[in-house]
Amino acid sequence: MGTLTDLITLLVDFVTSHAQILGIWVAAFFTLCIYSFLYRDNPFYRFAEHLFVGLSVGFGIVISIHQGLIPFAWDPFWEAVTKREFMGLLKLIPIAIGLLFFARLIPKYSWLIRYPIAILIGIGAGRAIPNVMDAFIFRQVHGTLTPFGKIHAGELGFFAIFGAILMLVGVICTLTYFFFSIEHRGVVGRISKVGIIFLMVGFGSAFGNTVMGRVSLLIQRVDFLLSDWLRLI
Amino acid sequence: MRRQVPLILCFLFGIVMMLVEFSPHPVSEGLRAEVIEWDLIIGPFALVIGVVTLVHTHWIRIRRRVEHWQYSYLVFIGMIVMVAFGLPMGPKNGGNELPKWLEWFKWFKGPENEVFVWFFDNVQVPMEATMFSLLAFFIASASYRAFRARTLEATLLLAAAVIVMIGNAPIGDVLWNELSPVGENIPSTARQWILDNPNLSSRRGIILGVSLGVISQSIRIIFGIERSYLGGGD
Repeated sequence: MGTLTDLITLLVDFVTSHAQILGIWVAAFFTLCIYSFLYRDNPFYRFAEHLFVGLSVGFGIVISIHQGLIPFAWDPFWEAVTKREFMGLLKLIPIAIGLLFFARLIPKYSWLIRYPIAILIGIGAGRAIPNVMDAFIFRQVHGTLTPFGKIHAGELGFFAIFGAILMLVGVICTLTYFFFSIEHRGVVGRISKVGIIFLMVGFGSAFGNTVMGRVSLLIQRVDFLLSDWLRLI
Repeated sequence: MRRQVPLILCFLFGIVMMLVEFSPHPVSEGLRAEVIEWDLIIGPFALVIGVVTLVHTHWIRIRRRVEHWQYSYLVFIGMIVMVAFGLPMGPKNGGNELPKWLEWFKWFKGPENEVFVWFFDNVQVPMEATMFSLLAFFIASASYRAFRARTLEATLLLAAAVIVMIGNAPIGDVLWNELSPVGENIPSTARQWILDNPNLSSRRGIILGVSLGVISQSIRIIFGIERSYLGGGD
């Protein structure tokens, strides 16, 4: 038993000492596998793609158990049992509700899965109303209108005043564009046309940011291949 | 029983969670914290549906020998490797050395297991980054098709994107400062102005619209008007 443990420890030490260099080669191989898709769909890409899906799902399972179930369900439950803090036994209720997801595996009782789904959706919907109202309605409206108070107090310069007016006009015009209860004709039509202009600038800048984000990732991967792997730069 | 009870549960949890958000009373704050913990406990179980569906899909692919069925084994291998190394957690013994009969468990470190971390760092993360960087090429070809300045709207889209891209790259400012006698760092300043003004105002408009939609949909769900999440059947 002791010899086998020593042998495994030796093996683990050997792999650990070479893990970094092995990791660089493996990462380079999979990077090239995925870039091979630029030529066309091929076995190397499919190999990397399927392995990636499996690893990601496995990672998701491990993380959701170790960062969700264990700290929030198992630990309080175990403390309740060992230290006789019986409030922790309350955690048995959500565990039991969560276990109903497994009813999906038994066709006869698969309807039981509606219980946990309904609870999750109910909690989500209930929390969404005040939180969305606060963060995305009140604060956004507040942010749009606050500068006008400063304009009134004479605290803003010309460009800031121009920016504040532009912001208000943009928000109203964009909202009008998405207001479908009346036909977009006449004044409403003209306002919604201005809304399209703001939307196009918004989409353009979002597109520009996305492109730069992707290009940054590309630079990072090329840098990895040339620097860490090939040591050319 | 099969449809009514879930609707009632959804209503109760929805109403309670909505009301306790507004109440600063210790009881309601305690209730809120408890239910959020329930949410965090129940949530991971939902992964069961995803995993079962994925396994079922690939199992069917293998059984029916559909095109490229062999790759489905890789999905299982990847999943099993991560779960096998990342899931088992040995006794910690408060940081002290483990008794002899338990020393086998020293390799069971949960997500801190070296093999699990190695696969994450050297396989999963590089592949994820490469997948996203791959989009740089496709986005370039998409922009070639989309960015034709034929109308005012398309021209604005093109101009905003180009200014943001040039303003984002350090070379934009460097070239401007070298070549233009007027102003300093104009590309990055113009980019920031676009992001802070017309871009933000359109985003605010979209956010306000989406938020109103989220609220109305949440009310529909809580009151059982929207019940598509229950699925079909009895």
